[in-house]
Amino acid sequence: MKHLLVMILFAVLVATVFGVVARNSVRERLLYGLKIFAEFIGIGLALAWLLYFFPF
Amino acid sequence: MSLREKRSETALTETVPGGAWLIGLLGWFVPGAGHVAQGRWGRGLLIGGAVMAMFIIGLAFGGHLFPIGDSQGVSGWSPLLQVPPMIANLGAGLLYLVCWVTNTGFVEQAKLETFEYGNTFLLVAGLLNYLGMLDAFDIAVGRKP
Repeated sequence: MKHLLVMILFAVLVATVFGVVARNSVRERLLYGLKIFAEFIGIGLALAWLLYFFPF
Repeated sequence: MSLREKRSETALTETVPGGAWLIGLLGWFVPGAGHVAQGRWGRGLLIGGAVMAMFIIGLAFGGHLFPIGDSQGVSGWSPLLQVPPMIANLGAGLLYLVCWVTNTGFVEQAKLETFEYGNTFLLVAGLLNYLGMLDAFDIAVGRKP
């Protein structure tokens, strides 16, 4: 659980900066930040499940 | 005229105002200050807040900073491996320099289970501040609104 919370915290902070610097309008920034956040969490969880099946 | 020729001509004719370099330097030194100095308070506070939060959380998690010019008794080419993470850490500007002067956060705390998270947070805080610094510079030059 702790690992997930740390990952969420990391994703929030990185997505904030990416969203601010990457687009021009407020709406675009918000959507881009949310997209980055969702990608961090989605890919993180997907990798975690994939690695679950590896014995090493 | 090809696109490459147009780009090279634009690069040659574009003049960078001196203030833009200062804004960039300020943005590196104090996270978010480059934006604040240009009246972009919202962006500055978001970038500065995120970078400072990452740095402080990184230290709280037991992460360690990589020192400037100190190979810690390691010989050969190994000290070169310390240079890239040191450059990433240095991106946090004043935060890193204060830690360097006060010798805070340079000791590895491997007994904490979160120390590797801490290292990552500290490295990424510096890298994100480089991004913010470049954004502030672009705004000062007029490349971004």
